[in-house]
Amino acid sequence: MKKILVSLLAALLLLCTGCSQPKEQTLQIFAMDTVMDFYAVGENAEETLNAAAQEINRLEALLSRTRTGSEVSAINGGGSVTVSHETASLLRSALQYAQTTSGAFDVTIAPLVDAWGIHSDMPRVLSANEIRTLLPLVGSDHVQLDGDTVTLDAGCRIDLGGIAKGYASDCVAELYRQNGVTGGWASLGGNVYAHGTKADGSFWNVSIRDPKNTAGSAAMVQLSNQFAVTSGGYQRYFTAEDGTVYQHIIDPATGVPAQSDLLSVTIIGQNGTMADAYSTALYVMGLESAQKFWHAHEEEFDMVLVTEDTVYYTAGLAEHITTEEGGPYRVQVIT
Amino acid sequence: MSKSSPKLRPNFFDGIVALLVALLAIGTSVVFYGGLGSKDGDVTAVVLHYGKEVERIDLSGLDGDRQIEIDGKYHLTISLTAFGAQVTHSDCPTQDCVRTGHVSRVGQSIICLPEQVVVKLEGTKQSGDPDLILG
Repeated sequence: MKKILVSLLAALLLLCTGCSQPKEQTLQIFAMDTVMDFYAVGENAEETLNAAAQEINRLEALLSRTRTGSEVSAINGGGSVTVSHETASLLRSALQYAQTTSGAFDVTIAPLVDAWGIHSDMPRVLSANEIRTLLPLVGSDHVQLDGDTVTLDAGCRIDLGGIAKGYASDCVAELYRQNGVTGGWASLGGNVYAHGTKADGSFWNVSIRDPKNTAGSAAMVQLSNQFAVTSGGYQRYFTAEDGTVYQHIIDPATGVPAQSDLLSVTIIGQNGTMADAYSTALYVMGLESAQKFWHAHEEEFDMVLVTEDTVYYTAGLAEHITTEEGGPYRVQVIT
Repeated sequence: MSKSSPKLRPNFFDGIVALLVALLAIGTSVVFYGGLGSKDGDVTAVVLHYGKEVERIDLSGLDGDRQIEIDGKYHLTISLTAFGAQVTHSDCPTQDCVRTGHVSRVGQSIICLPEQVVVKLEGTKQSGDPDLILG
């Protein structure tokens, strides 16, 4: 009898060992005009990812400018509009980033984005006259923000699409932290948050897509508790009848798709909203200005820049980046 | 030492108990450590349409080209071979899925946003493989 009890106890112990394996959960959703993937490990993994999906949907309902009833749609409708403190705060951040980047990132670009229609079913090439007409509507000075009340100048519209996914990744990160997720990641269409570590303690391997061969990798970064956001012209573009390629990032200074010598910009830092805004801005700036900008803000972020023949990365990534030896790109460290 | 000390020599019953415990341990590890997963190197293509799995194909078992047609608002043709997956045709407006080209490694995927189609490659990750792809 004693032997039977001992064996049952041993079996129970083994079962408990199995039960103590952390739970892992994955989730995929379509939202914010992209596909989003989530992975979490921890006792509350399932609840956390369900909450993350709800949070994304809530933010989309608030910040989308194509959804009737969103706060951004209300702002674009004209007049003075009092919005939630959350929307006002995000808009305030966007205006701050516009100032920091000297307008290379600007949420008032919306009228030109609409006219080019590169995200739509009917993209077209604007005439110089159309651009001249619309360009005066772009600029942060067209936005008055008084507390939580927003007023746009006549004809102006805002698009928080260049910052909303980054902000959403910040919100998801907070959920991971609050719910005790031990490791995981969230991938929000070009915006990544890497949380904690893998079970063996190693960092998450995040492959930065090769802009010239999108099935390949330009570099691999190892991240933990960091955000990474990539912007590049290769992601969305259209080819005009004369063969000219127009990519989707519009330069607020010229009103035409950015003529960047960069193929992609990846910003890595502790703030998803900032990384989202800066990735767009530095792409617009181009290689030389992007490096100058980093030197002025090197405490805030690291970056990986890809040009036609070179992968540049900032020195802070040296311990956490791998590039293909003998691959298609030269490698240069920015110090 | 008293005469009532227990016998320490294992008998047949002890062997049966040890075997049961060992089998239980192996069963537990298989269930909880994913021991029923695919063999190293095997790649499975999973095709999702509006979030619903419509195809799951072990690529190593393919001999030649397997075409999958997706119909909805837009029409996609997906080509699967033992070497990977590719959207060879789509009449969607963005063409992002076609431009992605050929994917062959576990963790890679092809996405068509307008038709909400995802083609993803699953399998056992090798050391150094990416956990996720950015850009």
